[in-house]
Amino acid sequence: MEPIIATQDLKKVFRLGKVDVPALRGVDLVVQEGEFLAVVGPSGCGKSTLLHILGGLTSPTSGSVLVDGNDFMTMTDGDRTRFRRHKIGFVFQRFNLLPTLTARQNISIAQHIQGNGFNPHRFDMVVDMLGIREKLNHKPFAMSGGEQQRVAIARAVICEPKILLADEPTGNLDTENSQIVLNMLRALNRSFRQTVLMITHNPEAAAVADRIVRMRDGRVVSD
Amino acid sequence: MINRMVLQNLFHRPVRTAVSMLAVAIEVGMVMLVVGLTTGLLHESAKRVEGVGADILVQPPGASMFFGLTQSPMPIKIGDRLAEIPRVAGVAPTLFQFNSSGGLNLIYGIDMESFNRVTGGFVYHAGGPFEQPYDILVDDWYAKANHVKVGGTLNFLNHDFHVSGIVEHGKGARLFIPLQTAQDLSVAQGRASIFFVKCSDPAYADQVTAAIHKLLPGYQVLPVREYMSMMTSNNLPALQAFITVMIAVAVVIGFLVIFLSMYTTITERTREIGILKSLGASKLYIIEAILREASLLAGVGTLAGYGGTVLARKIILASFPTLTIDLSIEWALWAALLAVAGTLIGAFYPALRAAQLDPVDALAYE
Repeated sequence: MEPIIATQDLKKVFRLGKVDVPALRGVDLVVQEGEFLAVVGPSGCGKSTLLHILGGLTSPTSGSVLVDGNDFMTMTDGDRTRFRRHKIGFVFQRFNLLPTLTARQNISIAQHIQGNGFNPHRFDMVVDMLGIREKLNHKPFAMSGGEQQRVAIARAVICEPKILLADEPTGNLDTENSQIVLNMLRALNRSFRQTVLMITHNPEAAAVADRIVRMRDGRVVSD
Repeated sequence: MINRMVLQNLFHRPVRTAVSMLAVAIEVGMVMLVVGLTTGLLHESAKRVEGVGADILVQPPGASMFFGLTQSPMPIKIGDRLAEIPRVAGVAPTLFQFNSSGGLNLIYGIDMESFNRVTGGFVYHAGGPFEQPYDILVDDWYAKANHVKVGGTLNFLNHDFHVSGIVEHGKGARLFIPLQTAQDLSVAQGRASIFFVKCSDPAYADQVTAAIHKLLPGYQVLPVREYMSMMTSNNLPALQAFITVMIAVAVVIGFLVIFLSMYTTITERTREIGILKSLGASKLYIIEAILREASLLAGVGTLAGYGGTVLARKIILASFPTLTIDLSIEWALWAALLAVAGTLIGAFYPALRAAQLDPVDALAYE
């Protein structure tokens, strides 16, 4: 079976002023569909950059990246945006909900951007699974961190993305809420064979995954 | 959904939203009031000339359409020759005096008998005709605006005039003094600035105009109906330039405020734009959201501008009863068009900048 993510000698170099700063120095990674993968490593090892490249938020400098059969090296910015819209869901450490919208609107806007219209069946299923029905009319400032992250997960999966990319999803949560969020990611993975790639510092969080990849200095050091 | 987001964003920053709308409202109000004032003054001035009741205006060569700016008055004896032309029922020689102290006032120096023959006579609200050389008649609008009463004194042309009567408005000027007095004050004895010519039937106006042209080659001879059609800002290049400049200033104010407002909005919402991009929002989606927000500001601002204009008109007319402000649907639509166009242009660069933001940088924005 074709892997859903396959990178080969993936490199990313940032230019800061006149200095080239390599963030990824040749990452080889293969992820199968339905896998729950945790990427761990110290700060600055390139985990977030890898996640941004796999999500099409930024382009690689060299190497190859195939995500669901799409070669990112040949795709334009617009192509990657379209790809992201239909195939990727993001969950961030800082939740990143739109502050002026309610939880319901924050979830619905993902469907609106995707352009397939509001799907009430999917909406109800996701909302009930994440236990946020009571909070649908609340704005982010009126919700706890755990509730905000659950809304963010709902927004990420509402359009049935092929891959869920989670960047330190428990980084801003207490232990109890961290466990709830991790359980939900696990449940999504098990119930819908949702491919999940999660970045984390936390070994306990990483332990939830099927597989743990360690990174250091822009490279995968153990898989 | 996008509309809901736009609306929520506007409510999120009520002061900025209000200031932006106010700028658009001021822009719309300025356009409508400037055009309304200039066209109103022109129409009202033309109406008053029409209200004299003459069919033809005879002025010296090179005279201005704006009465009072005319120099080198004509010999008054020309009036006798005009009166001899067949179908002429009356000729009223009038000398214009332009008073600039304490406001701008055009004063007609009139010969009461001939002026009455052409106009059909004044309707007096109070008092009566001149009895002394330094008597003055004022129209009811002027009297109301300046709290003038019969028997009072008005200082014009460095002389005190005794108010002998208050007359119905609409007979050319708002102030009338005896022709002889006007001639003495301007050292123009035996001269007149204009002859108001009345035909025995208005249908003869063209025929009589042709006869006057023959009699006085080079003089400005204009049927009143033609004068009325010429009294538009399009025929007055300086006024047209003034209107254009004022409209441009209004549009630039609106543009700059919207530009600044949307620019700060984009900076403030950098992270939110990054979130939208992470959800797969295209550049077009971001631009559309921002332009919709600007359009809403323009729409509500325009409506507020209409309301403000009507209110400002009432206040201005209550404070200055002699002014006229003509508000037209045509210019209301133009003002709206200018406001929307200025707003969209002002919002376009910030929208473009937002659309081009790097999503990773935007998400990291604090």
